[in-house]
Amino acid sequence: MTTPAAINASLRGDNALPLRPANQVMDLERLGAMHQSRLSFMRTLVRKIMRERWQIEPARFDLDPDGYGTVVYEVKAPDGLFSFVLFSDYLAPDERNDRVIATKWDLTMALVDGQVDDVYLEKLRQNVPKQEAGRVDSRVFVLSRANRSARNFDYVVNQLANGAQPDVQKIAEVGYLYRTTAVYGSGKLGMADWEKVQSRWPDFARPFSAEMFVCFMLRNFSLLQAEHIARNKAPDSFNPMQPEIKRYFGIGNSTGLGMAPYLINHPLLINQWVEMRELALARIRVLGNIDHRVQLHLIELIERSSTHTSQIITEDDWQTANNQQVLKDLAALLELAREGVEDWNSLINWSEANCSLQGQELLVSILLELYPELVNELEDYCAAEEFLDLDPLMPVQQLKEVIEQRYDWALNLDFGADGAREIFWYRSEEKMEPRLGNATEEDGKDKQMALGVGYAVRKCYDQLSEYVAQHPDHSTARFMVARPKLRGIVRRIQSMNRCIYGDIQANLLHRDVLPMHLLRSKLAFFGVSKFDPRSRLWVRNTMFQGAPLLEDIGKTFNDDWFMPLAPQQTGESK
Amino acid sequence: MNISMNELKAALRRCFEASGYFVGNYEDAANMILWLEKHGLNGLGELQRALPYIAEDCDKPLSTVVYEDSTSAIIDSNGRSALNCIAASVDLAHAKALEVGIATVTVHNCHNRMFILKALTDCGRRGISIAAYWQNGSQTVTEHTAAIKAGDRYPSYSEATTTLAASEDDKQALTIICSSRVDLTSSLQRSSGNRNARYISAAQVAENKEHSVDNGIEIDDALWAEINRIGEGILVENSDRSRQGAGGR
Repeated sequence: MTTPAAINASLRGDNALPLRPANQVMDLERLGAMHQSRLSFMRTLVRKIMRERWQIEPARFDLDPDGYGTVVYEVKAPDGLFSFVLFSDYLAPDERNDRVIATKWDLTMALVDGQVDDVYLEKLRQNVPKQEAGRVDSRVFVLSRANRSARNFDYVVNQLANGAQPDVQKIAEVGYLYRTTAVYGSGKLGMADWEKVQSRWPDFARPFSAEMFVCFMLRNFSLLQAEHIARNKAPDSFNPMQPEIKRYFGIGNSTGLGMAPYLINHPLLINQWVEMRELALARIRVLGNIDHRVQLHLIELIERSSTHTSQIITEDDWQTANNQQVLKDLAALLELAREGVEDWNSLINWSEANCSLQGQELLVSILLELYPELVNELEDYCAAEEFLDLDPLMPVQQLKEVIEQRYDWALNLDFGADGAREIFWYRSEEKMEPRLGNATEEDGKDKQMALGVGYAVRKCYDQLSEYVAQHPDHSTARFMVARPKLRGIVRRIQSMNRCIYGDIQANLLHRDVLPMHLLRSKLAFFGVSKFDPRSRLWVRNTMFQGAPLLEDIGKTFNDDWFMPLAPQQTGESK
Repeated sequence: MNISMNELKAALRRCFEASGYFVGNYEDAANMILWLEKHGLNGLGELQRALPYIAEDCDKPLSTVVYEDSTSAIIDSNGRSALNCIAASVDLAHAKALEVGIATVTVHNCHNRMFILKALTDCGRRGISIAAYWQNGSQTVTEHTAAIKAGDRYPSYSEATTTLAASEDDKQALTIICSSRVDLTSSLQRSSGNRNARYISAAQVAENKEHSVDNGIEIDDALWAEINRIGEGILVENSDRSRQGAGGR
């Protein structure tokens, strides 16, 4: 077991491990090239469930033959008993909408503390299907909804009803039966605050673990429901789905711009996630022993990643080109691995010189797979107290130097250049949906969200430079009395300066900014795969593909569902 | 109605952003109100009194340092609400205390001074002790003090109704004492004429927080609607063009 002191000693001081530098890691394009890893939240959640053998059983199963009705699962975890409550309602195909502005869904769900009696279930029934238009109380800590994959659901039900298995090739094209379109937690709509979740329910005390759990349960329910409908449709010919095919079903996810402001508004938390991932890599660079077993495992993982990537199907040309490049990168890495790797630094350096960013970051994820003993324990250090504190004593001259050192990327940007401040981020009056506007063509810039950190740093630096010239001996506190409008950015600069990695390095106001990178970065920390961009502003992806099923809990578990592959088709699929 | 702390914070941020508070300041204001309410010190009641005036501050001059030496400063807040200026005064006291051991900052012409408690708490958490004292009221004068020890997470708070006559000089003033060397505690003396005195210990403040964490925040429907109504000022009108900016097809 590691400790906070040991982690700190590995990050800072004369015994620090060789971490990758901030200007490399926090570059937005690289963040957007990240992949899932064994530190991703889905992986850590599944490890916890499997290791602790959570007991998850349906306590109520009121579905009609068409799969509509109410299901309640009771979840017995080591520190508490919870209920996963799900409402399945008919939704006309023309009403199905993945956008946040939708008002009806196929499934709506809630994760609740304790057992749910009839009275409370009725209260939930009155509110959960309404989502944003309803209210819940602080027993509830996740609220979510999902829509059927029109392409897959009926096909799978019909196959099972006819006694056949779904064609694996079809699942490779769309690896899920449902897409979740929002997963709310952290006190929204009257739910328990994160402070309550973290302090009262230790089973879900890691960031986003409750949200990930709801998606995990949704995935299991989707398979159960498909089988239930098929069984009722044709009880004589029905055949259940083979477990290995079931495991290849994940849950779909559509993520749009709503996730982007989160990364900018929670810089300390994001820094913490990055620090743990980078610390894991640095541990491997120095401590990761390479023997024959590791060499073989490396080859196996590169081959698996290559097959996985080749099985990704996307209509997006940009992503397709990226995937093709990753396949080339992996082929080159495989060649090196077969020749024998003597030290990780050489391989990493080679990848940085020869591979695409996505290829480089995939290698990082593969290396993390090789050493669970060096990586897994860092999962307990992915939370952060999010205080952006001012350092009032810091001399203004030092503050100026901090900006020059830590925000050189921002000072090097030309905000007067064409397009440099053309984009503004705002909230629409339609459900407060985050949107992007073009400042030259649309109104609303005066109401923009403060996401242009780089530009704010630039303005702060210019005013600070003038102030330092006049008052070289003043403290930051004194500067703040004189320039209170800069309080927010100064506090941020000083706080992020205390971190190893600091802020994401990008001009989010630039005409050519790709919000996709922000979305993908956060989704990689969550652990999704199969990125399928639908525009530069939203992306479909797959969660929990390859993960164990509920019925696998209590059985052997090798924690090896990284880059899952399509199973070999053994049963009848036609 | 019952709302979560996060909902209150988010709505307050929108409310203050729409009222002309600048980046960094609207978060502070939201956190100051939430902190009082969360810890059982009637932050929403204080907000209700402040709400009609919050949009006026953007037309007022910024705080100015009237006097300063190594151990003290006098700041004129020019009639602003503590919600948008008191944190800077506390920071100045903090910086001076770190330099010289103990420091005093007096703030004049500052409204809603109860909101200082969140700023005091931040000092305690960051390892410095701080105390504040102020009087309030033009007819009946009340007096208030709060303090936190270095390293603590919760302050104590005292208030009482006095028989003091309102003094023009003292109106809207507040005194901050901050020390990196001495642990400061404060409670009101048993002055003759003081009524309705109450002392809330740091332990009680902590206990109040646990209740809010478990149960969320109770808020008057009309106040909640008003906070949200003001907050709508930051929302941009919907249009077909705008819908494209959400990425939909």
